[in-house]
Amino acid sequence: MAGSRGMIDPAIFEQIQANIDDDSQLRDEVRNILQKRERQGRMTLSVLSRAHSVPAAERTVPRTSHIIATLNLQIVKEALKPARSSIDEQIQTISELGAMVSKYPYYKYNHLWTRHTQETIRSLIFGVWLGVYEPEQGTLLTIKEVGSSMNVPVDVKDRDVFHITTEEYLLALTDLIEELARLAVNSVTLGDFQRPLQISKFVKELHAGFQILNMKNDVLRRKSDGIKYSVKKIEDVVYDLSLRNLIPRNAS
Amino acid sequence: MAGQKHDLDEKDMDTSDVSPFMPMFQGFRDELDQHQERRERIIKASRDITALSKKIIFSLQRVRHLQQPIPPPIAKETNTRYKSIQELFTTIAPDLQGINSWRYQKQISGGCQEFVEAISFQHYLETQRLLTHAEAQALIPGGVELTTDDYVLGLFDLTGELMRFGITNIATNGTLPRGTPAGEGSEGRDILMDLRAIRTHFESLDTSSGPNDFSYLKKDIQKKTEVMRESVGKVEYAAYGMIIRGRERPKGWVPDLNEGQDRGREPVESY
Repeated sequence: MAGSRGMIDPAIFEQIQANIDDDSQLRDEVRNILQKRERQGRMTLSVLSRAHSVPAAERTVPRTSHIIATLNLQIVKEALKPARSSIDEQIQTISELGAMVSKYPYYKYNHLWTRHTQETIRSLIFGVWLGVYEPEQGTLLTIKEVGSSMNVPVDVKDRDVFHITTEEYLLALTDLIEELARLAVNSVTLGDFQRPLQISKFVKELHAGFQILNMKNDVLRRKSDGIKYSVKKIEDVVYDLSLRNLIPRNAS
Repeated sequence: MAGQKHDLDEKDMDTSDVSPFMPMFQGFRDELDQHQERRERIIKASRDITALSKKIIFSLQRVRHLQQPIPPPIAKETNTRYKSIQELFTTIAPDLQGINSWRYQKQISGGCQEFVEAISFQHYLETQRLLTHAEAQALIPGGVELTTDDYVLGLFDLTGELMRFGITNIATNGTLPRGTPAGEGSEGRDILMDLRAIRTHFESLDTSSGPNDFSYLKKDIQKKTEVMRESVGKVEYAAYGMIIRGRERPKGWVPDLNEGQDRGREPVESY
């Protein structure tokens, strides 16, 4: 103490400044990479939104037939194919992000990109549900499958690494449900009377899952409270169809 | 499945095979429950640490001399509270390990900042030096991480305490608190010199680079810099009052803390 008579060890503020600079630089880098992800995300959404519309030529085909519905599905799947590469690009960007932030505590900066990963998960699970990747459609990617598709760990407890959080996955599911409610309505317009039934069953199963979660007052609660409106919307579509005997006989 | 609601409207949906996704959601439920429990424990501890730290600061404000050990009656009070704080930190330490240390940063931050304010105040009173980050970290047990943000923001609040300490001393002793000389022929520093040094250092921090989005540190620094300037100004004005009116000062006279502030602002408004 005799050596330095000042009150303040200059190293204190040098270190604080270094910390602020380091922080600013990382934020800059993260922001750049997220802008790239946003561009890719818009691309994906514009392709996936084709699921709600049908090529103009198809509108002349008579509706109500189950065969037409299946045919429609094929056409939609064809139209959605470009979504694959764009989702893959998003996944690539997310993994670049993961590499960039790997040396920082995960939760220190997680708030910067959590919305972006959530959107990418949403596009991925919606794409898979629509059958963009596999011939089979209507399937849900579990959080583990999302993790392996994106090559990002999930359910991380014991190490501090870049990963997908449960909240991000669940929020993506709430977005998916909203999208499917819209799709149920639009499928009817497209003459596909079977898909609303499939959506109804699927969304109810998800809703049942959400109902066992104990929510606190946070964004997840707000979003999951909204699920019931989507369920209702889908039920109304199914009701309208069944009232008019429009439900395909071989549907479950 | 004890907590499950049975308001699903389909007949075949009231058993455990209600949905193929149930096992996954049960995992989520356990995880979210644990998360909420941890979060609540930390919030509670942080609140208690804040309250105890405030009480320590109150006790320390009764100290009258710089660079001397804390008087035993005051030390007795503060030591029990330090002990309680240590226990609180130790209790929540398991919730703040590894990846979770930053996860609940927002929840623990309040307690950490107030604690830094208390220990840096005590450190200043005893040594007349600014507590370093490493010294502050060493006083937090159980491996709970003290972030740079909380350390810095705690130091900002320290300036408010130093202001109060300085002004109380002027009021009661009629002088600025001053440390003991470092060597022959030199005078000890007074608290105003120290406050100005802190102000200079804080003001030289550059928070302008990079994006501001979600940087709580930058936002808080900007806000607290203003308060810090006011604190230094109050002591400066009290020192001025002491010189100019010191001899006329009746016993027990306390300078009006708002006086200096108003004085500083008035010309801006009237001209």
